[in-house]
Amino acid sequence: MELNNSKIKIKAKNLNVFYGKKQALFDINLDINQKEVTALIGPSGCGKSTFIRCINRMNDVIDICKVEGSVEIDGAEINEKNVDVVTLREKVGMVFQKPNPFPKSIYDNIAYGPIIHGAAENKDQMDNIVETSLKKAALWDEVKDRLNEPGTSLSGGQQQRLCIARALSVNPEVILMDEPCSALDPIATAKIEELIDDLKKSYTIVIVTHSMAQAVRVSQKTGFFHLGKIIEVDSTEKIFKNPANKMTQDYITGRFG
Amino acid sequence: MSGTGHTVKSYEEEMQSLNDNLVMMGSLTESQMADAMAAVIKVDKDSVDKIVKNDGKINELRSVIDNQITTVLVKRAPMAVDLRITISTMKISHDLERIGDLAKSVAKKVKPLPVDLPDELIGSLRRLGDLVQKQLKDALDAYLNKSKDKAIEIWKKDEQVDDLTNLAMNEVATYLQKDKKNLEMATHLLFVTKNIERAGDHITNIAESLYYLIEGEYLEGARPKGKPIES
Repeated sequence: MELNNSKIKIKAKNLNVFYGKKQALFDINLDINQKEVTALIGPSGCGKSTFIRCINRMNDVIDICKVEGSVEIDGAEINEKNVDVVTLREKVGMVFQKPNPFPKSIYDNIAYGPIIHGAAENKDQMDNIVETSLKKAALWDEVKDRLNEPGTSLSGGQQQRLCIARALSVNPEVILMDEPCSALDPIATAKIEELIDDLKKSYTIVIVTHSMAQAVRVSQKTGFFHLGKIIEVDSTEKIFKNPANKMTQDYITGRFG
Repeated sequence: MSGTGHTVKSYEEEMQSLNDNLVMMGSLTESQMADAMAAVIKVDKDSVDKIVKNDGKINELRSVIDNQITTVLVKRAPMAVDLRITISTMKISHDLERIGDLAKSVAKKVKPLPVDLPDELIGSLRRLGDLVQKQLKDALDAYLNKSKDKAIEIWKKDEQVDDLTNLAMNEVATYLQKDKKNLEMATHLLFVTKNIERAGDHITNIAESLYYLIEGEYLEGARPKGKPIES
């Protein structure tokens, strides 16, 4: 099975996360393969979003949040004090549940990151980054004649692809997606899923989803979280056809609680 | 298969109804097979029409199950064990329907048979019929108890069905060689034997579907085969 042959991009080891006194994650050990889609499933509050926020240190912005244990990307620990989180987040982009374009033009939404990171020396280079990013996010054809219009003028599905294009504009290696389709209609969802299929050729993707069907469709590996613990990780096919753990089976077949 | 029921009660009821219909279909098929075999052995021509008519009930149930499965697939998008139950039920119901058809075919062959069927012709055939009926009963019991071991046992026993089939066919061929006037009767009996053997193959399919339902994996290895017919 591909699981054994794939290169590990992200390695979480004995990861524990606390919000004040409340422990949100317990001893998480999880390997995420390079250029694959890993889906994280589990009931609300099970820790899957907390987990992906550990991969680009988004939990740093929460004062009461304490992270213990290790997260390595390409073998390098990201929780070391000397790691520059801006560089880390350039490498590990994130797309959220609700599309959240900046209140700026479509063009400026994409250009914002490259400007911060000094990625373009002139207007031509920036134009190129904007066009390439929008093409990678399968949005270019729909917006190329209206780049100066506000990002918020786009439909929900287009806004989400704009956010993906924005994440891609700084050449990340990993893209974290936290329920990226939960606010979208089935057609917009299909377009994002088609995009995920395409993006996995170049990027490592971790997606949190409440849709079992979506996890089956887009991912190669699935992890089931429950009450802050990882219950089972295996190939997506195994998890949804014949999971080893009864809790996983009960969850995915709708027998929970 | 799973200790707890679905959170959505109507889903639970749909799966239960699917199970009940399959069990009913199995029970009807078992009766049809028993009646067909009894009709052959006793050359009971009066029972044939009833057997032919009863086959319709099995076909109807298969239609009901097909519809239920389509509904479950579209409404519930079943996963894991539910997916395996749904897929296996569909396959098992189709095998049962085919066994029903074969029982009907066996019964239809009774009408042209002579009432004084010689004992030497039906010894192995009777044993073959008994074995296939036992296999069917065991398969249905194994389904009810979700017994993986029983499924494997049934699957392996098909070899005996094949061997008895060969024996029964040899008996008919030997009888035919004695007197070519027996050709018509022998042909009918060969068809009966072959149909019972094919029912056995469908029972082996059921054992395979059941194993997949329970284990989530396919039974590995080639199917056991009996010795080929010696010419």
